[in-house]
Amino acid sequence: MRSADRITAVLLLAFAIAFSAGALKYYSWWGSGGPGSAFLPFWLGVVMALLALMMFFKNFQKPELRSDWMPRGEGLRRMLVVLGVTAVFVALLKVVGMILGTALYLVVLMRYLGRHPWWLTLAIAAAAAGFNYLVFAHWLRVPFPEGKFWISEGMLWIF
Amino acid sequence: MDFLNNLSLGFSIALTPFNVMMAVAGVLVGILIGALPGVGPPSGVAMLLPLTFGMDPTSGIIMLAALYAGTMYGGTITAVLINTPGESASVVTCLDGYQMALQGRAGTALGIAAIGSFIAGTVGVVLLMLVSPLLARWALSFGPPETFALMLLGLTTVTLLAGDDPLKAYISMMMGLMLAMVGFDIISGDARYGFGIAEMMDGVDFLPVAIGLFGLGEVLAGAEQTGKTQMAKTRLSLRDVLPGMADWVRSRWAIVRGTVLGFAVGVLPGAGPTVAAFLAYTVEKKVSRHPEEFGHGAIEGVAGPESANNAAATAAMVPMLTLGIPGSATTAIMLGGLMMWGLRPGPMLFEKNPEFVWGLIASQYIANVLLLILSTAFIPLFVRALRVPYSILMPLIVVFCITGAYSLKNNVWDVGQMLVFGVIGYFMKKLGYSPAALVLALVLGPLAERALRQSLIISDAGLGIFFLRPIAAVLTIAALLAVAVPVARGLLAVYKRRFA
Repeated sequence: MRSADRITAVLLLAFAIAFSAGALKYYSWWGSGGPGSAFLPFWLGVVMALLALMMFFKNFQKPELRSDWMPRGEGLRRMLVVLGVTAVFVALLKVVGMILGTALYLVVLMRYLGRHPWWLTLAIAAAAAGFNYLVFAHWLRVPFPEGKFWISEGMLWIF
Repeated sequence: MDFLNNLSLGFSIALTPFNVMMAVAGVLVGILIGALPGVGPPSGVAMLLPLTFGMDPTSGIIMLAALYAGTMYGGTITAVLINTPGESASVVTCLDGYQMALQGRAGTALGIAAIGSFIAGTVGVVLLMLVSPLLARWALSFGPPETFALMLLGLTTVTLLAGDDPLKAYISMMMGLMLAMVGFDIISGDARYGFGIAEMMDGVDFLPVAIGLFGLGEVLAGAEQTGKTQMAKTRLSLRDVLPGMADWVRSRWAIVRGTVLGFAVGVLPGAGPTVAAFLAYTVEKKVSRHPEEFGHGAIEGVAGPESANNAAATAAMVPMLTLGIPGSATTAIMLGGLMMWGLRPGPMLFEKNPEFVWGLIASQYIANVLLLILSTAFIPLFVRALRVPYSILMPLIVVFCITGAYSLKNNVWDVGQMLVFGVIGYFMKKLGYSPAALVLALVLGPLAERALRQSLIISDAGLGIFFLRPIAAVLTIAALLAVAVPVARGLLAVYKRRFA
């Protein structure tokens, strides 16, 4: 945990300095009779830098308590798969479309995480996608990404 | 009388069929969200906020406020049956609630919590109704310096919200403020930190951030858990839920104390239901004639904190409605919702939008009655919902996060932003930072900056203006003390370690 805090502190410090420097360089310090757009960002960066320094030097003499804040093995794999599949879903949202994408996403993750029977997986995925369509697309008129035509066409062919 | 007119106006709005339906939906969804470990009130409110965009703001706030009240009770179910808090305000309920469940008294624990919540919630609304208009009238005299000082106090007391590590809470808060700086500056027109990207120049919206931090972040953290949870076996028919005479006698003063304490804590900016529940537990243990029973199934240890968190959830509406300053992450998100609906939070709300304020207040009475009925009658149903495996629940929550983030402005950028903050939220949780402080600061940031700059424009003493006007001075000094005390304590600890 301590080394993680150290690394975070260094990153925060760099970020804070860049934030303040950026404010001074690009924005106005004093505007019409009052502080300009650089005023508050600059001071926020300064305070953040101080906090980062405090964190860096805190517990200097304390021994490393434990470094197992990150999961290992099975747990880490599950977390990364959930994150990865979600990221792929978001990246392909415009191509696959929201409704079909929702169903596919649910099928993939539910099968991976729980190995539930196919009928249950498909039923839940269809119900959730249907709910999404009904509430958001139909009732609230949210214009969901519809996806590329060839995909929905292709899916029809498969079934 | 003015006051009765307002209340009857409120009821005439809250009792329309659609609004009653919204209250029922809010309470039901709230109990469910509260009961499910991993999604708490802030993520519930954030995920459901997009649903309200098509509605009248009054119906929207009625649903969200009912949901907030529902989550406070829902968390109890999980705490008592699985020994895991469904949301953070139920952490202390685990201590005695789960012990009661092991003794076969889960029904009684849930029953007393439901009754305590009802009493506390209802008294809370009465107090809300009496205090808010007075506070709003007083706050009408606030100029920019007072507003800024108040916001500063709200921000510096975030350590109360976060608990363990004040330094990390402040870092989280500063991060929120820095994110709030992104986007067009209203006064100068500069597109700050936009990097030429149109979406960045629009600023960082709090909603995808909140959904990411609280929703996706929690799901990612939950995905690591591979073990199964064990539920206490228990019978939960209506008869088991009604507390007996002896239980009632033991808990009644705990409920009263919890209500008063909860409301007082909830009104403070920065401290919400979680702090209230912790304090109530401590108080009950102190005043009890048999403190040794605490931790082994003392019913006061459930009744006190559970009353306190409901009273606090109601009280948290007071600063949000009257001053425009949220006291918790959940009310911060509601405040953001208010602005999205086109309302201006602050003291003028009571004069300009009486139907909104009084509709909300009246609906809170209804929500509390609904909560009592639903929580006692449908407990078996909610318990069954807890048996839904995480492997089904988790993907569904993420789908909701994605849909919610998208429907804010109908663009995929926000979904990407939600994803990024999901990862950040995961690390924040792992490393002990406070997502609540970040969201609070992100919502307050633009308002605080405007108040600060306006103050400095009208000031001829620079920052001195915050110390020369009496109300502003008191608030500013309180805010500075809130920072100085933890810092001094930290330095003292370092000093002791080094030289003692």
